[in-house]
Formats: sequence, C-alpha cells, structure tokens
Amino acid sequence: MVMAETIDDEHIVEQFNRGDESAFDRIVEHYSSDIAALAGRLLGWSGEVEDVTQDIFLAAFLGLKKFRCDCSLRTWLFTITINKCRSYRYKRMLRRRRISQVADQAIDASAGTADKKSMDNETFDRIRRAIQALPVKYREAVVLRYLQELEAEEISRILGISKNALQVRLNRARARLRDELGELTEEKL
Amino acid sequence: MTEDKIKNLLQEADRMAGLPGPVSANLSAIVRRRAHRRHLRIRLTATLAAAAVVLIAAGIWNLMIKTTEQTKDQEKIVLLEKQFEQLRAKTDAAVNLIQEMLVAEQKQHSLNELEAQLASIPDPLEVIQKQVDKTASILVYQADRLYRVKRTDSAVETYNRVIELFPRTIHAQKARQRLLEIESRKFNKIDSKGELKWKPQIVSLSC
Repeated sequence: MVMAETIDDEHIVEQFNRGDESAFDRIVEHYSSDIAALAGRLLGWSGEVEDVTQDIFLAAFLGLKKFRCDCSLRTWLFTITINKCRSYRYKRMLRRRRISQVADQAIDASAGTADKKSMDNETFDRIRRAIQALPVKYREAVVLRYLQELEAEEISRILGISKNALQVRLNRARARLRDELGELTEEKL
Repeated sequence: MTEDKIKNLLQEADRMAGLPGPVSANLSAIVRRRAHRRHLRIRLTATLAAAAVVLIAAGIWNLMIKTTEQTKDQEKIVLLEKQFEQLRAKTDAAVNLIQEMLVAEQKQHSLNELEAQLASIPDPLEVIQKQVDKTASILVYQADRLYRVKRTDSAVETYNRVIELFPRTIHAQKARQRLLEIESRKFNKIDSKGELKWKPQIVSLSC
C-alpha cells in the first residue's frame, strides 16, 4: 500500500514538474480532507482550517518542484501542516494577547451557562481543551498517533524524531491527560 | 487509564467536534491564483528592490561626485586663496617700495632745496677775504697818501703793517714794492761822502 502510494506520488510530482498543473488538482483532491482534519485538530477545532489549508497547499505548490520523494507525499504534506499549524498557533497566540481578559471571561461565562443538554459537549470540550493545553510537542504526537492514527514510523518522519522519543512524548502526554481528565475518565468508566 | 481508553476518549471528543467543513471545491484554483499572485508580488518586489538599489547606488554615486566636486572646489578655493595671499604680499611689497621711494625722493628734494638755499648764502670766507683785500687795499692807499704828503715814516709803518697783517695778498706785494721804491729813493739821496742821509728801517719781511 505504501509502496504503491509512493509510486503514484512520484508520478504526480513528475507530471507537475513537467508543467501539468492538473496534477496539483489531483493532489489537493486526494489529500485535502486529511490535511484539513489534521490542521483542525492541531488548531483545536477552532474553525480556522480553511485559511490554514490554503496556506499549506500554497506552500506545497511552491515547494513541490523541490520534493525528492524521499518520503511519501502524505508525510511531506503532513510535515508542512505541522509547521504551518505551529506558526499559525503562534500568530494566533500573539493576536489573542491583544484581546482583553474581559472578552475571555465573557466567553467562559457563556460556556458555564450551558444547559444540561449540552453537558456532553462540555465534557468533550474539556477533553479537547486538555489536548490543546498540552505542550506543542506532546499535542502533535497525540494528534498524529490517536486521532490521525498514523504509524509510529511515519510520525517519527513527520516530526523528525526517533521512535523512542515519540514514545516518550506519548507517555508524558498521556500522563498529563490523566492528571487533567482523571475525574472525567472515572465517570466515563 | 490505559492507552486504548485515552485513545477512545480522544477520538470520541474528536468525532463530537465534527470534521472540519468541506474544503472548497476550487481550493487548487485558489492556491494557484495565490501562487501566481505571490510570484507577481515577488517579481514586483524584486523589481522595486532592484530599482531602489539602482536609485540608492545612483544617489551614492551623485553624492560621491558632489563630494569630489566639492573637494575640487575646495582645493581651487585654497589655491586661489594662496594666490591671493601671494598677490597681496607682492602688492604690499610694491607699495612699501613706492613709499620708500617717495620718502627718499622727498628727502632728496629737501636736500636740493637746502643746497639751493646754501648756494644762495655767500661764502663767509670770500666775504672775509674781500674785506681783508679791501682793508689791505685801503691801508695801501692810506700809506700811499701818507707818502705823497711826505709822511714817509707813517707810510713805511703802514706798508709794514700791511705786510705784517696781510702777508700773502697782492697788497702785501704792493707794500713791499713801495718800500723798495722808498728805499731806492733814499739810496739815491746819498751824500757826497758816500753815507746815507736816511737809514732804512729794518722791515720785517715775513712772507
């Protein structure tokens, strides 16, 4: 499966390098949903996926001629996604610093007034917030491993770390999540 | 909590959040347009940067040329100032020379005037000489008159005085000649015994 995908990637990249821009259309068509899902998860399900996805594919369009097929196109695109989401989160953090704390408190208050019907949503919001509260290196590992369900080898390539390092990050991320969501998991269990 | 439990919990939360909205159908077209715009922007930026570099280089070049021109002008000014100083020094020297010449000429003029004035003044020696001559002449004339009125002794005395007072004058010679004549006349009056009736006085002929 991976081998066939790689060969297909090489063919598409070769077509693109020959000037056939329809090859890029096929890449977008094939990977856009995965890229959008990963970006959404990395950005905390915030609904800012559209712009980030455009930026990711723009970077791919500009850098595709330099792609040497050392890895699969999906891995390469995921790597771009990781980098773009990091910079996007950083910019967003800078933007949010300018917003007054009053606005944040208002948001928290409105969340607290939700009715019982939305209790589940609140629970899952809490889980998602816990994921977002993780340090970036743990969050990326968790998202790629448990939500994107990628293999450890591919995650190691995407993040540029060894499998052991990945395992360490995952263990630490789980420990933090246990600390954060302990009561919640007991209830669930 | 096991890894699977956490995984299930996270996936459930992810599902509840829902997948992100459908990606725009013309995403690739949008990306291509953005890429082309980006290319254009980069080219425009590069062109503007090149133009800016050229302008800056031209500005620097102009500045350098101006600086060089200013340096040349300053050198010219310094040279002209030196020449001006030299000319002024020469002029001052010429003026000083002219002033010295004028002073010298004025002095010469004053000297000439003084000499002219001196020339107009009669020589006192000549005046004295004339007076001496006149006095000697008067004395000789007086002695002659005395001799004519037969006052031979007074005449001889006067002649001797002329010889004594004005020995180197022509009147002294006249007086000596007169004395010789008187002597000769006395000699001619020698008596028959061969003795002189009148003995000539000893006359000092201090010439």
